[in-house]
Amino acid sequence: MNLKQLLLAGGALLGTAAAQAGGFQVTLAGQKNNGMGGVGTGLALDQASMFYNPGALAMVRERGVQIGVNATMARQAFRPQYAQYGFDRELDNTVTTPFNVYAGFGPTEGKWRAGIAVYTPFGSKLDYGYNWEGRFALTEIDLKSIFVQPTVSYAITDKLSVGAGLVVFAYGAVNLQRDIPVQNATDGQYGHIELDGKADQKIGYNVGVYYKPLDKLSIGLSYRSHIDAHVQGGDVTFSNLPNSAVVASRFTATKFDVTLPLPATANLGIGVMPSEKLTIGFDVNYAQWSKYKQLEFTFDQPVNGSNTSSSIRDYKNSFTFRLGGQYKVTDAFTVRLGGSFDQSPVKDGYVTPETPDANRLGATAGLSYKFGEHFGVDLSTQFISIKKRTQTQDELVANGTTDRVAGTYKTNIVIPGIGLNYTF
Amino acid sequence: MNTFLKYSSSALLLGLGLLGCQPEMHSPKYDAGTADFSKYIAVGNSLTAGFSDGGLYLEGQVYSYPKILSEQFANVGGGAFPQAYFSDAQSNGSGYLRLVGFTTPAPPDEPSPITANVTTNLAVRGVVNTRTNPALPVYTRVAATDVFNNYGVPGIRMADVETAGYGNASSTGGTFLNPTPIFNPYFERLLPANTNDTYRARVVATNPTFFTYWLGNNDVLGYATSGGVSPITATSTFSDINSRFIDDLTARGAKGLVSTIPDVTTIPFFTTVGPTFRRTLTRNNVPGIVITTGAFSLTAPITRRSIPTTDIKDPALGGNQLFTLTAAPYLPLFGRPGGKAWRDVFAQLRPNLPPGTPLSAFLLSQGIDTLQVFGASAGNPIPTTLVLDDAEQGVARTATNEYNNALRTKAAAKGLALFDSNTFFSGVAQNGFAANGVTNTASFITGNLFSLDGVHPTPRGYAVIANEMIKAINAQYSASIPFVNPNAYRGVRIP
Repeated sequence: MNLKQLLLAGGALLGTAAAQAGGFQVTLAGQKNNGMGGVGTGLALDQASMFYNPGALAMVRERGVQIGVNATMARQAFRPQYAQYGFDRELDNTVTTPFNVYAGFGPTEGKWRAGIAVYTPFGSKLDYGYNWEGRFALTEIDLKSIFVQPTVSYAITDKLSVGAGLVVFAYGAVNLQRDIPVQNATDGQYGHIELDGKADQKIGYNVGVYYKPLDKLSIGLSYRSHIDAHVQGGDVTFSNLPNSAVVASRFTATKFDVTLPLPATANLGIGVMPSEKLTIGFDVNYAQWSKYKQLEFTFDQPVNGSNTSSSIRDYKNSFTFRLGGQYKVTDAFTVRLGGSFDQSPVKDGYVTPETPDANRLGATAGLSYKFGEHFGVDLSTQFISIKKRTQTQDELVANGTTDRVAGTYKTNIVIPGIGLNYTF
Repeated sequence: MNTFLKYSSSALLLGLGLLGCQPEMHSPKYDAGTADFSKYIAVGNSLTAGFSDGGLYLEGQVYSYPKILSEQFANVGGGAFPQAYFSDAQSNGSGYLRLVGFTTPAPPDEPSPITANVTTNLAVRGVVNTRTNPALPVYTRVAATDVFNNYGVPGIRMADVETAGYGNASSTGGTFLNPTPIFNPYFERLLPANTNDTYRARVVATNPTFFTYWLGNNDVLGYATSGGVSPITATSTFSDINSRFIDDLTARGAKGLVSTIPDVTTIPFFTTVGPTFRRTLTRNNVPGIVITTGAFSLTAPITRRSIPTTDIKDPALGGNQLFTLTAAPYLPLFGRPGGKAWRDVFAQLRPNLPPGTPLSAFLLSQGIDTLQVFGASAGNPIPTTLVLDDAEQGVARTATNEYNNALRTKAAAKGLALFDSNTFFSGVAQNGFAANGVTNTASFITGNLFSLDGVHPTPRGYAVIANEMIKAINAQYSASIPFVNPNAYRGVRIP
């Protein structure tokens, strides 16, 4: 599960009403990779191989512990087709801090490596301004997740290694809020619904193979499995509804269930090492998003007279292409550059406010410095430009997706990050 | 180490620099296109005035579609748009309906809304005795110096716009045997006292650069809401008057928008009560009912018609016969002897009956025996005023289509924008209208587009209309005027 998927997924959870904000599709599982456009499937850079390609872990020379943290700072503008005031909306800015922790062990000269990875593939918090046009789709979303992945890897020969990890969806929490288009006569306020729940623990896997036929060439394949994020018995809370029994009887739900498919991803990576100092990586990721047909909430009692609420997603499978490289300036000092092109799984006319997605272009840079034998620092920064995307009300009507907002979305994301590593 | 600091600080700077990257969207270019909005005048009836909840009052005026349009026109050179507002002290204007709650019957009977009249802070300055109403209220008149651009006059028909004295309180209608036109108090309040100017003359004299024109609804609506009793305007009359009015308005080069007339049979006034009544009858195994249809005659009893319960229109189940919202208090009396319905019909019709006609004579002339069971017998049928049967719907629909042809033809001949409200509201009746994640519908109360009278829109309904007009104006005049967010305007507030 990469960050992108989780973020997109999180957006999806918002769903019915839901709305917007954070489908920031960025893979941030390793600080060195972050500086290189997110490549890693065909490389054996460091312990983050546990995420990118468990098969490469056995080829990582050092054992060690590393942690990384990133600050995802999204800036979003939205121009509704039916605007309230005729100017652009900006999201109330929020910062999320995805982190990653890896510990890798194994005998110095042995063929085995084992490790454990902890990463937070998404953590999205979005707060739409008061009275924004999409308030009946989404007002706020807060999503958190932590994944834990015990991993083993084995080098069959000097050139070929395999690995597998058990992906444990250890912690997931969602909080979604939106307004209900029913206005009470007492103070003119609209009703409001809050959905708050924790995801069940689930298990998936991450497997990979790594092959280095030549000194100057390496190839990797990895596959991360599908996981259904499932919330059962989450809490439903209403506020500001009219007092009349005829209305109250339509809004009696207290619990909700929802399932969100987090898609499988197949990854192919190639590494090229023209010299001792230069490493270039190229990755293709293929995410099987087409499983995400709709987001359906079921309730124990009615919400506006219905026990279910369904919202069309109809995502399509999508490719991501990544290119990046690093250059060792000195033994201690390395610089990195990279770029990525990320195809949106969201089709035209299906954009939801919680995931205002479009094709993305990314540019990244990074550097590392080693202080002596064991200790190193990695810095990275990513700039992601999500292409401007417009959907009209006519498109929404044609697609049966009028539960979202027509208009033009544009988002830029900046993600500086820092990592510390100790190797032995 | 120095190298590290140097590189890392430039990386940090890079990161910080990027932080400022709030995405820019080029400011939208609003443009009047080939139209000139410097003086916009709104021509029309209650819909144009902002009539809502069965009355004209300040809130409705503030959210009239012409006012909303003028606020959007202000982005493209539109001028000020004063209206003939009621004062704050008289903000309830003519009075209106408010929703006070819902009944709580034992299931399976369904809760129904309870409304009450607002009778305080009215703008009523007195009453006038006319041929049809001994106490027709008249309203606080605008000051002689007041300028206003909204000429929406509730109740005005196309057939009235050339009538002299239509805004003069001394036009009280003559006598039963020698009837003359009766003035309209909403037009009267806009004019100086004792002025005989026609509506058309007053409007044309304002010399607009741009106008919206939505007339003709009342030429058929009165017929429909009275269950086919009130007269309907002849198409030739409608067409001739319309043609002369638009010729006059465009004579000095004004641009404008013409709206067609919606099919009245899809409004909540006609779609709310029937389905409930049908469910009740079905539950009680009542196979059919007796209604009356057509206009009253003084010489023959009104026509009876037996209707199977399954012919009462329910969108989900079919059927053809519509009941008015005003039938709601009478239908629970079904199946019991009693004369309330017919007494009320008599009170309503009295101004049109020869002076001094007693109730007993009226009932006798119509063959009504209130000792028989109401609604289920030919002797005590459901009054025609509460039912729009399929024959009457056909008459209304034919007239509407003919009026609309006249409106469309004239608009096209003059190169005016056209808001086809007939097509638009047919779509709303079928599928609702979605914007910004909310689907509003043509349902009574819950749909949020129609106010408590079941005929006139809510502020949200008026905002939707304004958007559709903007769409038509943008298309006709190559303009780009921004829309409004309809959900920012209130629908029906629920207690």
